[in-house]
Amino acid sequence: MSQQPIIEIRELTKIYKGAEEPAVNAISLDIFPNEIFGLLGPNGAGKTTTISILCGLFPATSGSVMIDGIDSHTNLEKIKQIIGVVPQDIALYPTLTGRENLAFFGNMYGLYGSELRDKINQYLAEFGLEKHANKMVSKYSGGMKRRVNLIAGLLHDPKIIFLDEPTVGIDVQSRLVILEYLKEINKKGVTIIYTSHYMEEAEHLCHRVAIIDRGNIISLGKPKELLEGHPEFKNLENVFIHLTGKDMRD
Amino acid sequence: MLFIMPVVLIVISSLMQEFGWSSLTKDPSVSVLFVDNDQDSLGLKIKNGFKGSESFFVIDSLNHRPITAEVAKNAVKKGEYLIAIVVPKNATSTMRANVRLSVAKTLAGFGMGDPLLVNGMSFRDSVDVVVYFDPTVKKTFKNALMSSVRENYYKFQTDWVFKTFNQEIALQMPMYHPPKEAFKEVLSFKEVFPSYRVVELIPNATQHNVPAWTIFAMFFIVIPLTQSLIQEREGGSLFRLLTMPVPYMTLLMGKVGVYLMVCMVQTVAMLVAGILLLPLFELPMLVLGNDILGLFVMTLVVAMASVGYGLMIGTIAKTHQQAASFGSISVIILAAMGGLWVPIYLMPPFMRSMSLISPLNWAITGYYSIFLRGGGLMQIAPQAIKLLIFFASTITITAVYQKIKRPLN
Repeated sequence: MSQQPIIEIRELTKIYKGAEEPAVNAISLDIFPNEIFGLLGPNGAGKTTTISILCGLFPATSGSVMIDGIDSHTNLEKIKQIIGVVPQDIALYPTLTGRENLAFFGNMYGLYGSELRDKINQYLAEFGLEKHANKMVSKYSGGMKRRVNLIAGLLHDPKIIFLDEPTVGIDVQSRLVILEYLKEINKKGVTIIYTSHYMEEAEHLCHRVAIIDRGNIISLGKPKELLEGHPEFKNLENVFIHLTGKDMRD
Repeated sequence: MLFIMPVVLIVISSLMQEFGWSSLTKDPSVSVLFVDNDQDSLGLKIKNGFKGSESFFVIDSLNHRPITAEVAKNAVKKGEYLIAIVVPKNATSTMRANVRLSVAKTLAGFGMGDPLLVNGMSFRDSVDVVVYFDPTVKKTFKNALMSSVRENYYKFQTDWVFKTFNQEIALQMPMYHPPKEAFKEVLSFKEVFPSYRVVELIPNATQHNVPAWTIFAMFFIVIPLTQSLIQEREGGSLFRLLTMPVPYMTLLMGKVGVYLMVCMVQTVAMLVAGILLLPLFELPMLVLGNDILGLFVMTLVVAMASVGYGLMIGTIAKTHQQAASFGSISVIILAAMGGLWVPIYLMPPFMRSMSLISPLNWAITGYYSIFLRGGGLMQIAPQAIKLLIFFASTITITAVYQKIKRPLN
């Protein structure tokens, strides 16, 4: 891993209007190129807010973000060209086919013609969706929707991919395909920032993880290091529960 | 559905309106019970007047029996007939007696006859022609019918006055020979609808309905548009789009473009229905007016205004229900306010001034300039500019609201 971070977060704070506590509380973090970085935390911990700021959906209350050397305050449009986002929701148009959805989102990234067509065909094949490409997305299974949802964020070959709970609510086979693919593109140099509730998945996939709770990073390091720091626990899930507590969150 | 439903709406509303108009103009589709207790000239004249107007179908017997006043009243009360007219007994003789006396009194003033005798005589009490109306009958229809009754009566009375004058003068002056043609009406009435066209456009239900319902249908794009926006927001597609290297205004304009096309196709469908479909139902064919470019521009700005309105509602509304209920009801209110259903000149003064702020009023005024006045670009310019400003305002509000209030979802 290079020493020069691809994402530099400094004192990042977000306070929503009317909120008593900050959703993100002065977090600082470096993510390095070609890293699979896990952002873990219970509901309402600040994961989605952090990712949303990094993706340029809304500004932080204070602090700074540099992505691939570009200041998000000054050149957000350029940042948007090198990132790919896979939202937690199935962000697809249900009345369009899988192929039409991908063509539309590809167009939004400036891809057209045979280049786009070839990429769509390639991804549909890799994710086992060729037979269903011309069916409406509303007819897809949960796993198929998740796979198309992922492809839509990869079409333009981004340097950095943000994945918000990419495997939630799908069958084991689809989860396996997605995780294998993430590992594969990571080997090709893509940096992945990933949130999940599945600790076992994060433990095996991520090079490093940050456990975030109530807007603060409460633990940061390689999964192995976190486990070594808490030898009384056998796995990351137990460490996570130990750090964030057993109380249920809204 | 976006294209078929408005066409169906145009056909049905034009048929209904044409029926309403024709009941007063050409098609004897309203039955009138007629009770002639007079059995003389006046009763006959009123009855023939109704028959001659071709507006009404006169019924003077039921089950092969002459109708009585009581039967007629009950039939209207039960809602079996809308109107019943009862001409009272001695109506003609009363009128004749009063006219004769009036003539005699006038001639006595010229020294013809005995003034002392004539002036001592008094007029008979007037008799009432009773008209029973079903309570559901609209005021305008009632007024039209009463005008028809009165017109027939006054015409008959005027004829009778002349006839009596001639008779009385001939009695007093044996040398006097009444003219063969006693009177010729001086005034005749010609209806003219001033138009920018060389050939005037005759207003009819089609010319009124097609533009009105076209505007209404275009503004109802609010429903699918808001649903699509909210679905996009709730489904996460907007989240994804906002992370892409495309300015929000480009996304917005993309939607404007797509829905403008929908509105334009919808309008073409409705105009084609007006030209080809309505005549199949024996309705007048739509005449497009003088200026196709003006029509295109007007349609474009109306479509822009409706799409802008839909985008604004869809962005501000929090839920599908909120957008659907507010969107549809607000369009209905704006349509009513704007004079799409009731002409503005029939509204009270307060409503008339309110109607001027409805974009649907600007739209219908512009369309009427083309469809009814035969106007073109120059004539629609004031309305087109207002609609363009409305569009620009809604887009600005949408963009600002999205940026400030709803950056995430």
